[in-house]
Amino acid sequence: MIGRAILWLLGVVMTAGIVHIVTVFGVPGHATNDPWEEVGKFGPTGVFVAMPRVDGATRTIPGLDPAMAQATCRFVLDQGPIRIKATPPDVYWSLSLYDRSGLHVWGFDNRGAGQKSADVLVADDVQVAQLRENPPEELEDLVIVDWKGREGIALLQVFRQQPSLARETDAALKAAECRPAPLG
Amino acid sequence: MRFLLSLLAAMASSLVLGLGSAWYMIAAPRTGTIDVGTWQALPTIDASTADPYVRARIARSGEIGMGGGEGLVFVTGVDGRGDSLSATCDYRLSGRSPTARLWTLTTEGEGRRPGLTPEGRAHLDNRNLLRDGDGRFLITLSTRARPGNWLPAPAEGTYTLVLRLYDTPIALASGQLPDLPVIEREACR
Repeated sequence: MIGRAILWLLGVVMTAGIVHIVTVFGVPGHATNDPWEEVGKFGPTGVFVAMPRVDGATRTIPGLDPAMAQATCRFVLDQGPIRIKATPPDVYWSLSLYDRSGLHVWGFDNRGAGQKSADVLVADDVQVAQLRENPPEELEDLVIVDWKGREGIALLQVFRQQPSLARETDAALKAAECRPAPLG
Repeated sequence: MRFLLSLLAAMASSLVLGLGSAWYMIAAPRTGTIDVGTWQALPTIDASTADPYVRARIARSGEIGMGGGEGLVFVTGVDGRGDSLSATCDYRLSGRSPTARLWTLTTEGEGRRPGLTPEGRAHLDNRNLLRDGDGRFLITLSTRARPGNWLPAPAEGTYTLVLRLYDTPIALASGQLPDLPVIEREACR
């Protein structure tokens, strides 16, 4: 009797383990509000969209710092590499690139940038090879990011250091570019 | 008949256990967190190192987090004595600035709602903080306006404090833990 009970328990624990693993690995494939979808709710693909201020009253993307002003852009590499350009004010700012599932792949901040503006070209393997063969004139000033996959999310954040910079910050987020830059 | 019942019970229990434990692990950051005093460092969400629980959690919440190269996020929902942070109480945070080019301190109440000043400020940061001669700071956490370094708390309920360090040399994996502000409860209403 006790032997059968132990066997039953063992069976339950093992099956539960399988259910657990299948669920955890299955969630990302079936999620309907992953970061890609969340960002898509705020605007079209291929442009930077300024995020509403994190104040609890307006819908925004979870996890964003209320101390920062943000703009996000979903991009797809089908029409060529993506050129990301921004000139934020002289405070802390960062540009972060996330993959299709919202995991961080690449990023730099205003110190890493060295100069005052961000100018980045996101390209897949084939496009990087094409760029090497046929380099555009401005290639030296560009940061090239070798991208795995077809899609990604760019997040541009600017620190709200002082209220007097708010207009300049908003203008920089609005003017930020995130557009396909076809080769050749 | 008994066998069939036993099999059904086994299947039902496995489903409840399996789904329940999966939900528990995904609902909040449970893996890769590091305790620093009463604070907890959240795992960074790098594509190269994220574990399946982090991936599943992000897919469900849709949140955008911080990558390893960018900085660290610390959260705490309790004061130094282990009691939940509540809108009905005031708190005193004291300490020194953790090493980072920029850090921001915010609150997150229900529905991720931050506490806001009437002017709409939700944060305190190391650039605009008042300190004493030794570099120590004192922050008051309250729903009501306070003199000095005032961090607005959410209007009601319990909440979480979020400390984000940007561009920090601190590497938690090497066991190098920062000194984070100590939280003491003051008067309650």
